Amino acid sequence: MPSSAKTRSSWRSLRMREGIAGYLFILPSIIGFSTFVAYPLVSSVYYSMTTWSGWNTPQFVGLKNFVYMFTTDPSIWPSLRATALYVLMSVPTGLMLGLFLAVLLNRQLPGIKILRTLYYLPVVLPSVASLTLWDFIYNPQYGLANQLLNLVHLPASQWLQGQSTAMPSIVIIGLWGVGGTMIIFLAGLQSVPMELYEAAQVDGATRWRSFWSVTMPMITPILFLQLITGMISSFQAFNPAQILTLGGPNFATDLFNYNIWNNAFNGQQFGYATAQVWVLFFIIMIFTIVVFRISNNFVYYEADHSK
Amino acid sequence: MIDSHATEIERIPAVQRMKPRVGKRHGRRRYTAGDSVRFIVLCIGAVGMVFPLLWMITVALKSNSEVFAIPPTWIPRQFVWSNFITGTVQINFWRVFLNSVIIAALHTLGAVVSSVLVGYGISRIRFPGRKLWFYLFIGSMMLPGMVGMIPVFHLFASLGWYNTWYPLIVPAFFGNPFFIFLARQYFSTISLSYDEAAKIDGASHLQILTRIIAPMSKPMIVTMIIFAFQGSWNDYLQPLIYLMNPKLWTLSVAMASYIGTYGTPWNLFMAADLIYMLPMVIVFFVAQKYFMQGLGALNASGLK
Repeated sequence: MPSSAKTRSSWRSLRMREGIAGYLFILPSIIGFSTFVAYPLVSSVYYSMTTWSGWNTPQFVGLKNFVYMFTTDPSIWPSLRATALYVLMSVPTGLMLGLFLAVLLNRQLPGIKILRTLYYLPVVLPSVASLTLWDFIYNPQYGLANQLLNLVHLPASQWLQGQSTAMPSIVIIGLWGVGGTMIIFLAGLQSVPMELYEAAQVDGATRWRSFWSVTMPMITPILFLQLITGMISSFQAFNPAQILTLGGPNFATDLFNYNIWNNAFNGQQFGYATAQVWVLFFIIMIFTIVVFRISNNFVYYEADHSK
Repeated sequence: MIDSHATEIERIPAVQRMKPRVGKRHGRRRYTAGDSVRFIVLCIGAVGMVFPLLWMITVALKSNSEVFAIPPTWIPRQFVWSNFITGTVQINFWRVFLNSVIIAALHTLGAVVSSVLVGYGISRIRFPGRKLWFYLFIGSMMLPGMVGMIPVFHLFASLGWYNTWYPLIVPAFFGNPFFIFLARQYFSTISLSYDEAAKIDGASHLQILTRIIAPMSKPMIVTMIIFAFQGSWNDYLQPLIYLMNPKLWTLSVAMASYIGTYGTPWNLFMAADLIYMLPMVIVFFVAQKYFMQGLGALNASGLK
């Protein structure tokens, strides 16, 4: 029948038009993804095996960059060590402090909105503005930090200028922005159904007990998400080293990303820096996979239990 | 047996204690001793959080000699308001401030328009491959930023865009994964029957988006504008890599290099740094609701 064939073909042309419209709408992101994600990903595999100043033509050298990195480069191990130390110090403390504050702030108290706002305020400040502020705070002679230590009769510290204190000082600056973690935990706490607490109460659970048996399991997905994102971003920390310490003293804060940037844009070693990027990427991947694996044991997903 | 008896007794006051917490329906509520402890701990912590900023304000208002006075003064003996003028004029601050505003405004325009378009395409148009593309866009958020940095730098340099603003603005026009996610989440809460009614009236997709969906998504779009502007205003690495000429600098690079110069006058620096922070603080206080909305969407992704 001609009429049904006609409707079928018009139906097909409608689907065709929808397809074209759909691709036109997402075209910006397809171009963006190809240019800023796919192309760099592929080309940097090649660049990592070249010597390249950034302005000349890359020369293929095979795996030489990687061999040099792990056998000769004197800064690589101190840099990896500093990065690992930074991640180990900042991620767990940030998560614990963020959760602790969220639990405290998850209550109708007088002025609670103002309190939440104040805890979140440092997060909105530009990173450069807060880092430069802390540079003055940590000034050994006239800075606020030593003034406060002096006030409670504690010995002054070298802060950013001391080899053992530089990294903890940077971690403290990061903790000033704990409000970001806190606010996500807070939203998570508020989405735990009230009935669960009431049921726990009826069963005679104490506050402490219902925190560990109700709250914690219910927020593990958020805890997990924050652990992953916190880890990925800490591995890539850059600003504190570049603005405050220049990686020093004696490599104590030579964060890997800073090391990479330094090799590329100060040392004109783009090929070598690209190889380093891949090492960093690989390390982040391994840690992410390990955390994913471990998380199967502790993250509680409601959907799994309904099966 | 003894245990169950004990819980039996505990149960009654416990439930009563919980009651006010359930909702705001109860006009009056009593605060427990635990609440007071909580309140005091929170207040002490909040003072600690704000203290660096208060110190910053006092330093910004001090005279040159008072900054280094020993013992230090907490409240300036005389308020030197002119620091805000001297501190900003000295480093050509307002010129750089204007640069930051222009870059952030164009960046925001690009990121919001492109992400809304892509979000609409992914959530309202049925076409083969849309799920795959969506996951590719979202997945790219997990990729470390440094992976793309060097090849993209090379690309822009070969286009002659080194030492120009293009690398800070143009990429924004090609969609931001987080904003696309935000748009998709928000659009999916709007009933499809609006689209169908409009289609029957002969509206095109672009008309449906601009006349119906976008006006209904104002809160989400405001959230996007704030996040985009903040992202550009606070960005340091990109301007650091691309802008050599101090006349083209953004505030982030200018302030970071200001502190690097030997013997920076503290009071003048703090005054300029405060003005650098100010737009973000104002936006935060005025549009707090939208900040929280964006974070809520982030949280919803974690719950899945």
